[in-house]
Amino acid sequence: MNEILKLGLILFIITAVSASVLAVSNNITEPRIAEADRKANDLAKQEVLETAEEFDILDEGKLKEVAGSNSNIIEINEGYSKEGEIVGYTFKTKVKGYGGEMELIIGISTEGEVTGINILNHGETPGLGANATESYFTDSFKNKLVDNELVAVKDPSEDNEVQALTSATITTTAVVDGVNIVREIYNSKLAN
Amino acid sequence: MKLSKVFYNGLIKDNPIFVQLIGMCSVLAVTTSVENGLGMGLAVTGVLIGSNLVISLLRKVIPDKIRIPAFVVIIATFVTIVEMFMKAYTQELYNNLGIFIPLIVVNCIILARAEAFASKNNVLASVVDGLGMGLGYTLALLILGGLREILGAGSIFGKELFGPAFEPALIFIMPPGAFILLGILIAVFNSVRKKKATTES
Repeated sequence: MNEILKLGLILFIITAVSASVLAVSNNITEPRIAEADRKANDLAKQEVLETAEEFDILDEGKLKEVAGSNSNIIEINEGYSKEGEIVGYTFKTKVKGYGGEMELIIGISTEGEVTGINILNHGETPGLGANATESYFTDSFKNKLVDNELVAVKDPSEDNEVQALTSATITTTAVVDGVNIVREIYNSKLAN
Repeated sequence: MKLSKVFYNGLIKDNPIFVQLIGMCSVLAVTTSVENGLGMGLAVTGVLIGSNLVISLLRKVIPDKIRIPAFVVIIATFVTIVEMFMKAYTQELYNNLGIFIPLIVVNCIILARAEAFASKNNVLASVVDGLGMGLGYTLALLILGGLREILGAGSIFGKELFGPAFEPALIFIMPPGAFILLGILIAVFNSVRKKKATTES
């Protein structure tokens, strides 16, 4: 019995010291992690909706009202100009790619144009589907009108065509579908 | 035991990847580019030095019966510290390596060195052992990551090497390519090592 107590005590001391060391390093890094996360998030929103200066997140009730039963939409932000006017929306969306879930952020202006898209998290194959993060792919969505359904082709020429990724049809389709879902929600709920 | 020999053992003679073949999972998974390989290698080296240091310091205090849980607590503490600091200061690298950073806890190189070396040797030798083994692991990741990035993506450290005419062999970026290259590397490494051993004797 005595020995068990002794062993337990030693183990307890080791874990207690570990816990306090971790508490200290958590204190040092926590504000920086939160700051880095916030910056990454802000930057992503800013990139897809350049005209906006400030963003205001839609609360849960409103999000439900806009997105309805659609579970692809995670978050919607209203973007305001310096003068406080609404200039567009950003939609954080999840879709199913080739290597699991992908998280996209899509910007749509009040003029009814896609202002940009950005891939936040993904598990796509490097060299193939992961090229979705490259600008030659994401930039092809820019300035597309929300009136028409977007399709991906090898050499885009029409107004509703975007760049397809070579040998990564599933990734391409996932992203294009995600943008189309957002497009429809914008058209039916947010466009005036 | 001479410290230079301890270091050489970790880096070359008992290289954790090419000779001991331990901790392979992370090696295969993160070496899609040199940068990821280097980041992962340095993270493991940091944890290994820290855990070897503390375990060697406490080797006379920790009773034999509870040594494994004690080691695991110490290792997990160092991994969590490394994880927090990477998240705070090198977020992009952290995102690339993803789940493999927390999984360093169960990387068998670390527990193996604690059990086989740090719990039996003095502090200085244990730190040198951690450094040698860690750099040996990093070396393996650098070679594998470098070859995979050059062959599979035609670049090194993200820089294009051959211009647009080069068609990279995609298989090397994907998991099968990692297995194939690792097999070849182990064969080369061991035949060189064997040749050296026979000329020495």
